[in-house]
Parts: sequence; C-alpha cells; structure tokens
Amino acid sequence: MTLLEVKDLSVAYGEIKALRGVSFTIDEGAVIALLGSNGAGKSTTLRAISGLVGPSAGSIMFDGKPIAGLSPRTIAKLGVAHAPEGRRVFPGLTVRENIMLGASNRNASSAAIRREADAMLDVFPGIRPFANALGWTLSGGQQQMVAVARGLMAKPRLLLLDEPSLGLAPVVMQEVFRIIAEIHNRGTAVLLVEQNAHMALKVASWGYVLETGRLALGGDPATLWSDERIRDAYLGGEQAKATT
Amino acid sequence: MSRSAIGQLLYALAAAVLVALAATVKTDGYVANILMQADTYAIAVFGLSIVLGLCGQINLAQAAFFAVGAYSVALGTVDYHIPFWLCLIGGMALAFTAGAALGLTTLRLGGHYLAMVTISFQQILTVVLLNAIGFTHGPDGVSSIPRPTGFTSGQAFLALVVAILAISGYFVWRLADTRLGRAMRAVRDNELAASANGIDVFRTKLIAFALAALLGGLGGGLFAGGFSYISPDQFAFADSIVLLTMALLGGAASPVGSAIGTGLLILIPEWLRFLKSVPGLYLAVYGLAVILIVIFMPDGIWGYVSKLFRAREREPLKCAEPLALRPVDSGATIALEVTGLSKNFGGLKAVDEVDLQVRRGGVHALIGPNGSGKTTTLNVVTGLYRATAGAIFVDGVDVTALPAHKRTVAGLARTFQNIRLFRSMTALENVVVGAERDGNALVAGGRDALWRRARAALDFVGLGHRANETVPSFSYGHQRLIEIARALAANPTVLLLDEPAAGLNMSEKKALHGLLGRIAAQGLTILLIDHDMTLIAGAARHVTVLNFGRRIADGETADVLRQPDVAAAYLGVSE
Amino acid sequence: MDFFLQLLFTGLGIGAVYALVALGFVLIFRATSVVNFAQGEFSMVAAYLMVVFAVDLGWPYWLAFLISIGGMALLGAIFNLTVYYPLRNRSFLPVLISTIGASIFLSNSVLALYGPQPQVLPGWLSTLGFQLGPVYLDSQYLIIIGVTLALVAFQYWLFERTLIGKKLQATSQDKEMATLLGIPVVGMIMITFVYSAVLGGIAGILVAPVLFVSIQMGSTIALKAFAATIIGGFGDVAGAILGGFAIGVIETFGAAYISVPFKDAFAFLVLILFLIVRPQGIFGERVAEKA
Repeated sequence: MTLLEVKDLSVAYGEIKALRGVSFTIDEGAVIALLGSNGAGKSTTLRAISGLVGPSAGSIMFDGKPIAGLSPRTIAKLGVAHAPEGRRVFPGLTVRENIMLGASNRNASSAAIRREADAMLDVFPGIRPFANALGWTLSGGQQQMVAVARGLMAKPRLLLLDEPSLGLAPVVMQEVFRIIAEIHNRGTAVLLVEQNAHMALKVASWGYVLETGRLALGGDPATLWSDERIRDAYLGGEQAKATT
Repeated sequence: MSRSAIGQLLYALAAAVLVALAATVKTDGYVANILMQADTYAIAVFGLSIVLGLCGQINLAQAAFFAVGAYSVALGTVDYHIPFWLCLIGGMALAFTAGAALGLTTLRLGGHYLAMVTISFQQILTVVLLNAIGFTHGPDGVSSIPRPTGFTSGQAFLALVVAILAISGYFVWRLADTRLGRAMRAVRDNELAASANGIDVFRTKLIAFALAALLGGLGGGLFAGGFSYISPDQFAFADSIVLLTMALLGGAASPVGSAIGTGLLILIPEWLRFLKSVPGLYLAVYGLAVILIVIFMPDGIWGYVSKLFRAREREPLKCAEPLALRPVDSGATIALEVTGLSKNFGGLKAVDEVDLQVRRGGVHALIGPNGSGKTTTLNVVTGLYRATAGAIFVDGVDVTALPAHKRTVAGLARTFQNIRLFRSMTALENVVVGAERDGNALVAGGRDALWRRARAALDFVGLGHRANETVPSFSYGHQRLIEIARALAANPTVLLLDEPAAGLNMSEKKALHGLLGRIAAQGLTILLIDHDMTLIAGAARHVTVLNFGRRIADGETADVLRQPDVAAAYLGVSE
Repeated sequence: MDFFLQLLFTGLGIGAVYALVALGFVLIFRATSVVNFAQGEFSMVAAYLMVVFAVDLGWPYWLAFLISIGGMALLGAIFNLTVYYPLRNRSFLPVLISTIGASIFLSNSVLALYGPQPQVLPGWLSTLGFQLGPVYLDSQYLIIIGVTLALVAFQYWLFERTLIGKKLQATSQDKEMATLLGIPVVGMIMITFVYSAVLGGIAGILVAPVLFVSIQMGSTIALKAFAATIIGGFGDVAGAILGGFAIGVIETFGAAYISVPFKDAFAFLVLILFLIVRPQGIFGERVAEKA
C-alpha cells in the first residue's frame, strides 16, 4: 500500500535549486533511508513533505491526496509528523510537556493527552526519570528521544526523522536506531534522513541516495551498501576509494 | 569633467541661487517662520540621515541634541553675554560629546536596548530643562536671543541658515562616498561582513552618533537665533519622533530624502492648517504616517525614486591593469597555524583541541561531516568567536587576541557560507570596502588606485563589466564571486573560503575550480571548507578532516580520502 | 519605621501597576521578539474608556470595567493585525518604529477626541481606606495589589497548568517547531496581543484613581515598566513582575528622600546604567544584541 508518493519534486530557495525532479514512494509501515552528503537536499525533501517549504514543481501525494503546498498544520493533521534536524526540543518546557504538545494535531482532552504522554514515557525508559526536567538541561541523546516521542504522540502514519544521529556519540546512536526499529514494529512508516549511511541502512528496508538535488541511487540496503557509487556520492570520484 | 564634478558644481550653483533668493526676496513673517523652521529642522534631519540612514543605528534623541545646541546659544548669549558664534560652536561641541557618549553604549548594546538608552537620554534632558530652573529658566524658556552681528535682520539670518544648510547638505551628500561613509553603509548592511573586511564597527557607530548629534546641535543653535525664543516643550520626545518621521518619509539614507521629508512634513500641515486647530490631531496623523511609511515605503520617497534612477547606466570604467596579488611573505613555510584550538559553547565542545598547519601557496581543505566543527573553527580563526583555548598564527604572528577587524590587517580574508555582501552597494563598492582595509600597501596611490584595484579584482573573477550594478541584480553564483573579489582586493596572505561551492551548479563549480587555481598560482594560500568532494579532491593538495570537533586525519588529499576512518566518519562505522 | 512601612505599601501598590504592564511587554516580546513601545498606551486608552462609561455616561462601575476591557481586547487584536502582522518578517527596526508610531497615534487620537484636560476617575470602593496599625492602607492601592496578585496567579496557572499555556510558551520558544506540531501559531500570537492589551488596560484602570487620567500617563508608566523588564532580565516573566514591584518601591523611596521633580531623571539614569553595566538584568541570561 503506497502511503507517500513523491513525483518529480523540485524545490528552489530563491534561485538555488535544492531539489531537481526527485521521485520515490514509501509504503505503509516501511522504513526508508534517504542518504547523501551535506547539501544534497535531504532536509529539503522532508521540509517539502511536511509543508515548511513549497515545491516549485512536481507533486506529493499522501494517502492518495495531494499535499504539496498545504500548510504544515494541515499536513500534520493528515498524519505526517516531522522531527526536524537539531531536535528542536522546547528548551523552557519539561520533557513531559514537550511530549504532550506532540498531540497538538489531534483533538483530545488534556487528561487523555497526559495519559498518553505517560504511556509514551514507558516506551522511552531512558528519559522517564527526566519527565519533569526542562528541555535545555538534557543531553543530545536525551533530546533526540524526546523529539521522537513527541513525534509519535501525533499518532502519525508517516514519521519524518531528520538526522537523528547528528552530534550523538556512537553508543547513544545505537539506542536511537533501536527505537526506530521499534517504531517500525508498531506500524508507523518512517522516512529517515541520515548522513550516517551505515546505521540507517541497518534499520531500513529500502534506501535512496541524493546527490546535489538528484536521486543518484536506490535499492535494498545490502545492495546499496556494497555499491561503490555510494562512497562516491559522499567522498567524491575515483580518487576516493574506502576500504571496508 | 566627470559626472560627479558636474553634480557638485550644479549643487553649488543651486545653493548660491537659494541663498541669494533668501537674502533678497521679501516674505511675510509667517512664511519666513515656516522657512526658518524647515531649514533648521532639515539640518537636524541631515544628522539623522547619517546615524540612521547611512549607519542603520536607531537614535530617538535627536531633539535632545537639537536642544543642546539651542540652549547653548540661548543661555550663552542671554545669560552670559558670550558672542553668538562662540555659543554656536560650543553648542555643537557639547552636542558632539553627548552624541559620542551615547554612541559608547553601542559597544554593548544594539536594537531595543539602544533605543531605550536614547529615549532615556532624551527624557533626562527634558526633565533637566524643565526643572533646573536656575540654569535653564525652566518652563518659561529663554527669550530675546540675539543674532550675530551682520545677520540681525530676519532676512539676513535666513540667508545665513540656508547657506549653512547647503554646506551641511553637501557634507552629508559626499560622506556616503568616502571611506567613512562606506564603512557606515557596510555596518548597516552587514555588521559581520563589515568586521571581517577590516572595519572597526564600534568606532564607526560611535562616529555616526557623534556626527548626527553635531548636526542636531547646529540646527538647534540656529533655531534659537532664528526664533529668538525657546522653551523646553519644543525639544521633547515627540519632537524626536517628528524628526524621525521626516527622515523616514523622505528616505533616511540621503540628504535629498531628508530635505524632501522635512519640507513635506512642515509644509503639508501648513496647507492643512485645520489639523493644528484640534490639539493632538496633527501628531495623531504623524503617528499613523510613521506606521504607513514603515509598512509601505520602507525606503522613503527619495529611496523609491532613486531606485528608478539607478536603473540607468552609469559610465563604464576604464579597463584596469590585471589584479596584483602580493601576499606578504616572511619566508615561513606555514602561512596559517592553529595549535590546540578549542571552542566551547556552554557545555558543548564544538572544537576540541584542533591543530592545523596550512602551507604557504596552495589550497588546503578542511572537511568533515555535518556538525563536525569546520565552520566554527573558521569563525574562531577569523575572530568572529573568541577561542576558549589554543592559539592562531598568521605568517608566524600571533593573532589570537586580535579582534576580527584587525585580523584583516594581519592578512586574513574570508568569504561566508551564506553570502554576506553589502546589498545596497554596487559590486564595485563592495570590493572597494575590501580593498580599503587598513594597511593595504597595494592601494597606496590614493582614490584612483583604490578604485582601479577594485575593478581589477572584479575583472579577475570575470565580473568587471558589471561593476556598477547593485548586488541584488546578480545571480547567487555571481554574488559568490563578488565576495571572493572583495576578499582578494584586500591582498590577503591567507584566503578562507566557507563552502564556496554551496548552491552552485556544475558549470559554476568548474569555473570556481579554475578560479581557485588562478588564485593559488599567484602565491596566495587558500583554506577551503566544503562538502563537494570532487571539488576538494581536484583543487586541494592537502586536507584536514574533523569529526565531533576533533581532528581525525590530516595529510595529502588522495591519501586521506582513502583512509577507512574518514569514510567511517562520513558513512558510518563499518563492522 | 512607620514612614518606612507606609512608603513600602505605596511603593508596592504602584509597583504592582508597573508589574502588570511589564508582564504585557514581556509576553509580546517572547512571542514575537517585538518590543511594544505602545504598551503604555493600552493603559491610557482603558482609563479613558472608563472615564467615558463610568463617569460621563454614569454606568455602573463593573459594567464600565467590562466594556473597557472588551474594548482593550479589540484594540489588541487590531494592533496585532495592523502594526505587527504586516511587518512580522522584517527586521526589528521597522517594527520598533511602527510601534512608536502606534504609540503617538493612540495618545494623540485620544487627545484629539477627548481634549487635553486631565480627568478624574473615582476608585472602586467608596471607603477611602483604613488604618492598620501605623500604616494607612489606601483602598485603591489594596485593590491594585490584590488584583495584580490575582492576575499573577492566573498567569502562573495559565502557563504552568493548562495546555494552551504550554502552546503559548512553545510558540515563544520555537515558532517553526510549534507549527510543525500543529499548534496554530498565528492564533497564539493573536491571543498574546489581546491578553497583553487587556493586562495593560487593567493596569491603567487600577492606577487611574490614584493619578489623574491624562494623555501622558501611558508613556510614563510604560517607560518604567520597560525599566522593570530590563532590571528583571529582559524576556523573563518572573523577572518582569519582580522588577515592576522593585521599580515601584525604588521610585517611591526616591521621591521621598531625593527631590521629587528630578526623580524621573534619576530613574532614567539608573536605567541607562543598568543597560550598560548589566544588560541581562538580574535574572536574564543573555542580551538580545542586534547584529
């Protein structure tokens, strides 16, 4: 069942063409990795899907409905949650409050939301002890947990995760990716943007590689990882050959 | 004769005509008063056009400086019998000092805080004027203010004021085109870039405040002489707002705009005299006008009109000799050295004991995944941030403690990831700002040498034929090139480029590659941050790799890019 | 000692007014990064509305109060749409100047409509006050302090205990993220402006019986409230409230022990010094320096 269909998507910031005719699909409940080096257009893709930026060409269909150009609020209500780069935990609110606000796209009573937030904290035992701590006091890894928990509160059909591993120590990264696998088990589709290709391909069922705004590669994780061209996309042409 | 000289001659002629008219044409008392008020206010608004229009700093105390000048003349002549001219000069000096004092606060403050300080200063002065009765005569004001000998008749004094108006207008007009004026405009457009190009931002703001206050005091002193009577309620906060509105309406950045704004806002209410019959209506309309102008005409009337003029072609400059790049060479092999550099933001170690040695003459790249600390390192090296620990040496000289604008003198020049050009200036003016940094030996010949060098730098990047176009008319890729030209014009020892290929298409990147080669061929040292590995591998001989703020690899590009831990940093850990 | 307590009571009373206005300032600033130079005019307009309804038309005090506050809510909404919204993406300078223009417009419109004579607004209670030991408690001051404490409690409850308060805070802290979560940011900002206008209005109606109702009352109060937010740390809600009380007390003691006419100049001098020496205030973290 196709959940998201992106067709010939182009996005420009002023005259800088960030995306040039990108097409891909995401099935219900799938975890898709979107890889590429910095500046390749990965974040832009997520921002176009969640409505933060409007496309200059192409279409985005979510659950059969066109969503390109709609407001972020509308798209959030349709079931798309976006956890942007940098985690963006509200610094002056507690962990519990951050998580509760994740349900802002739904109409539910405060009491119900509070109950759901408490249940969510059980899914993320690493941050449960910090439920009443203010956002700015948390470490990067803890903030990432909060951001993902907050995203899940929206009960999304599709979760857009932008570089969750950014700035995290390898050990913490493992925990984050374990959570992503868990999310997949619960049936939410995930579009995972990552620079860290190795980790991302371990949880994904399919991967795409962006290179300067275009889709350069696509395939199942094993094939993609062993394809030499993925190294080229990150490390340049023939000069760079990494050994594994 | 050049266009500029023709313009100045015309100005002088027009001024002479106006002065002659003022001296000879008989006007009734009412009209004379209007003209007197308009002319003295215009001088104060010229002052605002310097600090607000040219330099972009908020000053809500111009009426206070006006008052300083007015009261200096009034009290000096009436109470202490000091000659008029002495009082006027004294008043201007006092206003200048007060303006400088106010400008000192810009070292720490900007924006709302600065606005608050200027308002507070204005209020303090008003309170003093009203309450220090023994000194200022309080609410009664000062009357019977004499005029200087030779100008005692209303007519003669008006002619004097018009002459002084013309002279100050000329001064403000030409200021925009001087080194100081360009520095002010650079500070207004982009403080960070101004600082990176050698401009002492604080000193520039300070001078702007002082000059604005000086003109305010001049206007006020003449106002006192013109009307022979002053009282505190003429110099209140509301009057600062009136002056501000005049500046904004006409177009804050130019004396022509100021003159237009002042003229309109004094003459219009006279034609709509009924506005003054209902107390408050006049100022209520002012308030509304301010809001509407800010929303719909942010550049003012003249700003809008002059944009249309700009569209016309200016005269093309003559072709210049090729760009000379003679970086200072002390003989040391290492042009830029960084030892143990650390930068912490709160608890976050953005840069963690990084060592870097950039060999003279050639391209060295600094790479690493997103968030690895490359741009932070660059920012610390160029002085945007203070290093938490470590040292930076340019050509063997320790620059660690120098502020950003002094590092330009030491031989550093940079471009920014999000292009930081001075958007209100032409391409050529942008490059001139770079060229006129302190101590640039290659522009020693004076103004001509300066502009020739700037033109040469633009030719070097291929944009010389478009030198007189303003920044917004250039494509993103070309704006990048202008930024590089601006950095080259300063004749740096080390050129630091922050993601120069970002946002460029394939052919633009190829051109950039070629440009880097031509720069390096002249003996310049380049330190390059970028993500485009093809560019890096092609252009950079040496590369340093950062990850999580630490250096993980350093050496010849081909070797480093083959190292497994470099691949791992980018792609993730392999099993 | 008696005199000291009396001054303290008066200082807290007037400080409560500054605290309310300062709170309105800070809320708008946190939500929109705008320093609203017209905040004081909200107080002034509300006071004049009370004069019109309660004095000129003779309607019951509580009714006039409700209508005036309703008018302030409307004014806050209009202010948001005309002064802030068209400029929301521009740099701070145009917005700042625009609010200054609004301030001039509001104060002079009232002047044009009502005339320059200061007006008298009676207090709510007919008893003027009562003696508590050595201190005479003016009843209007008691009301001011009481209402302010109630509003501060309400503020606390709203922000700390309700979901909408959390959404308001989230909007202040990260607009884009709030939008992504589905929080109606534009609506949150509208609520902020309306609420701040109402706060300012209540402050004006509370303090009017103690001063004269005049065109200038707004700007005087606003400048002191602004000083309060600076001292408390600009952008800090608790700091603004405490700063307001502090300014009220300092000013009252200053007027008693230093000469009265110069007390205003003195207050501004202290403000300048504070800005220079410790711009982040007592509670604030960093200064919003403008590049």
